[in-house]
Amino acid sequence: MLLRYIGRRVAVSIVQLLGLVVVVFFLIRLMPADPVARLVGLNASKEAYAQASHSLGLDQPLLTQFLQYFGLDGRGGGLLEGHLGVSWVTNGSVLTEIGQTLPVTIQLLTLSFIITLLIAVPVGIAGASRPGGAFDRGVFVYGLFGGSQPEFWWGLMFIFVFFFKLGIAPAPLGLVNPMDMPSEPITGFILLDSLLRGEFDVFLDVLWHLALPTLTLVFILSGPIIKMVRQNMVRALGSDFVLYARAAGLRESTVTRYAFRIALAPALTLVGILYGVMLGGAVLVETVFSLGGIGQYAVRAVLAFDYPAIQGVVLVITSISLGIYLVLDLVYAVIDPRVARS
Amino acid sequence: MASHSRRAARTLLIGLGSLSCLVAGATGAARAADLLLLAEDVPSGLDPDGPSIALPTTQEGMVQMLEPLIDYEPKGPNDSGFVLPDFSKPRGRLLEAWDYDPKALTWTLHLRKGVKSCAGNEFTADDLIYTYGRALSTSGAVPNAWFLLNMGSIKGFTNDVFSTDKAVADAAKKLGDGIKKIDDYTVVVQQTEVNPLYFVNMAVTISQGVFDAKEMQKHATAADPWSHDYANNVNLPSFGAYCLERWVKDSQISYRANPNYYRGKAFYDHVVVKKVPEAANRLVTLRTGQAQMVQGLNAHQYDSLKDAKGVKVEGVLGNEGLFVVMNFKTKPFDNIKLRQAIAYAIPYERIVQVGYSGQAKQWEGVIPSSYPGFVKQAQPYSTDLAKAKALLAEAGFPDGKGLDAYKDAFKLSYVSEKEATLGPVVNAISTALRALNIPVTLDPIPQTQYGDRQIVKKDLGFAVNDQEKPIGVDAGYAMKLFFVSKEAGGINNMMNYANPELDALWVKAKIEGDPAARNKELADMQNILMRDVAWLPVVEFKTQFGLSDKVNGLTWVTDNSPRFYDLKN
Repeated sequence: MLLRYIGRRVAVSIVQLLGLVVVVFFLIRLMPADPVARLVGLNASKEAYAQASHSLGLDQPLLTQFLQYFGLDGRGGGLLEGHLGVSWVTNGSVLTEIGQTLPVTIQLLTLSFIITLLIAVPVGIAGASRPGGAFDRGVFVYGLFGGSQPEFWWGLMFIFVFFFKLGIAPAPLGLVNPMDMPSEPITGFILLDSLLRGEFDVFLDVLWHLALPTLTLVFILSGPIIKMVRQNMVRALGSDFVLYARAAGLRESTVTRYAFRIALAPALTLVGILYGVMLGGAVLVETVFSLGGIGQYAVRAVLAFDYPAIQGVVLVITSISLGIYLVLDLVYAVIDPRVARS
Repeated sequence: MASHSRRAARTLLIGLGSLSCLVAGATGAARAADLLLLAEDVPSGLDPDGPSIALPTTQEGMVQMLEPLIDYEPKGPNDSGFVLPDFSKPRGRLLEAWDYDPKALTWTLHLRKGVKSCAGNEFTADDLIYTYGRALSTSGAVPNAWFLLNMGSIKGFTNDVFSTDKAVADAAKKLGDGIKKIDDYTVVVQQTEVNPLYFVNMAVTISQGVFDAKEMQKHATAADPWSHDYANNVNLPSFGAYCLERWVKDSQISYRANPNYYRGKAFYDHVVVKKVPEAANRLVTLRTGQAQMVQGLNAHQYDSLKDAKGVKVEGVLGNEGLFVVMNFKTKPFDNIKLRQAIAYAIPYERIVQVGYSGQAKQWEGVIPSSYPGFVKQAQPYSTDLAKAKALLAEAGFPDGKGLDAYKDAFKLSYVSEKEATLGPVVNAISTALRALNIPVTLDPIPQTQYGDRQIVKKDLGFAVNDQEKPIGVDAGYAMKLFFVSKEAGGINNMMNYANPELDALWVKAKIEGDPAARNKELADMQNILMRDVAWLPVVEFKTQFGLSDKVNGLTWVTDNSPRFYDLKN
């Protein structure tokens, strides 16, 4: 039953992905500018323009470009063989470039979400245990405060205070000291790579450099997640089965555990959605701390009208988001088997 | 609660920091013999004919490694410490000497002996022949190197390379007798007409720098015989002061001083350029001493460094200027009186202050005032509202009446990514023109769209531009690039300005063998351009860098990229 459910969801995801790829391919070509101009710069003689246009394949009919992109023009090397094309800005493989930038963002987000959950869940439960109490009111104020300013603002403020004024944080120059010569990546996840190599100094250095960007994201993300956990806990603690459990004389910690299981599903949904959104949305934090993640890559691609890079980023981020949603659905199906049956 | 959180955060950061430093043994970003430059980006490619050649940060990477044939003698520092070139004294770099035969129209290039590349290969005529052959192949994304040789009237560098007839194009892409190797250290170059631009363009490193042919050929493939992929993605082998150490696109690039460099090894053995997108972070990191140099700040940010301890700002009024485009194909800008009225309404001094914190001056000509052959307008336009009103009336729009019909034409376009610098400027212009009832509205558009409309479509009706400069140090270069009509061989005439009088002067100046007569013709052209307000020069502004006060020797080159080789403690 569960396997059929997974199969159905994967099939739907592939169709969604294909549809999106087609739509994005044609939509970006409706943008109101010709990317060739950026390439030729001042040397825009008619001949130079024609050559640059030819080098990008933009002198071909749209349908031919489409077939080339998928690798259906007889020459191969297209999307169906796993090639995302070559960036028009760098002339490098889009797949390689995404492979360099995506781990940076995933690493940052995963670390931030783990810390956020470690803080938000107990705080949300504590707030729900005595609604309206001093702690609960404090959490409410924090939620408003943290979410009321954009993350780049908090990022800049943290840099100003912790780096510039107090001198206890590293310069916002990326994940490692730029003067150091990092080892060649294994997985691309620098924390993991340093552990695999046994380079604990690098591991600690990266953690140190990740402290402020992570703090910024935790500060922003924990507000809504605390609220979600708190509200669901309040609702669960007020439900009939909790009343019955208490009447049956169960310990408060046991009652809380039962209620938390009920409150967990909506909170996980929120985390999943936020994770998907932040894959592209962490761009401001990436920019402020010079991290060079996928969000920054996407913004540069859009500003330069770098069609292959835009298409690649959309495809990869959508795939990951669909993957996250699939996992969430599976978790739901495990928690509540009625979901799979429906 | 708040203080507790602060203590916890501080403890965590200090803990991580201390552990990290104990294990790594370093606290600062840069060590004593290193140079760390924080920039808005790093090179996206390193091929002079690659797709990113128009990006200044790409050019900055290339000029550290590519060695030019000539440059100019330094004439000493300006008041801020920037060392300026003396354009009247060209000096050999890879060339030891050169001879020009005006009758035969040939240049004999005597190559420097004993020059070695990063790979240890000796520089010979084969490297120059390879470099010219690669340019003629026009096999890259953009025919940048070919363009300057074509501009210099080198025999064989014709438009035939772009012929749709494959046989014609293929034949045209082979080096003929226009470039001849005489021996390992002598090359003769033939021109088809008198044209000083060949020599001027030799100094343009980003286009005419010389490759290490042996190293390039090692990475050639059947599909890519001129190694464009290698230069775009891996390395740029040449004879320059620095060799590539490591390059992560979109993140950082590092260089090591070339131990074989013929002018002596660079002072800074290790230079790292790190991309820091947020200008404010570049600024604060410089102030903490963890970086030695920053670029890409706006004028107000540079101004804020003036009183900071341990840092300095060096700037030069080089070749960067801001001008207003008024398209002759967009009514009512075909009306010269209206153009002049706008020229008299521009608040020049206010723009110098609000846009550039005083680090600019009114531009009183159409080419950079630092260039030889610059002609200052006899009576420069000034902010004179009475005169502007009178000219507006003469143009047929008394008190701005009738201009409402052209509201769309008065959308003042500018690059939205440059909002921090251009925002105050366009607001000052808009306010001044609205006072004359000229219906200006602001139209910020992305850089790529702006470039497309400027260069390809040429349909920017009314726009502010601060990013064009003639990189070749010659008034004729600027004329051909910006002002001569398309029919007379003009290249990037974004205003669609077409004046037969100007074109006729260009036809003469282009092949004028007598320098004095050529200067006179080019001066006449500049006067015509100012009269017609072909474009409206507003201000020349300083090219600036922020530096540690221990770093000296910054030199100005017309591509506006610093040369790390010149920097010293």
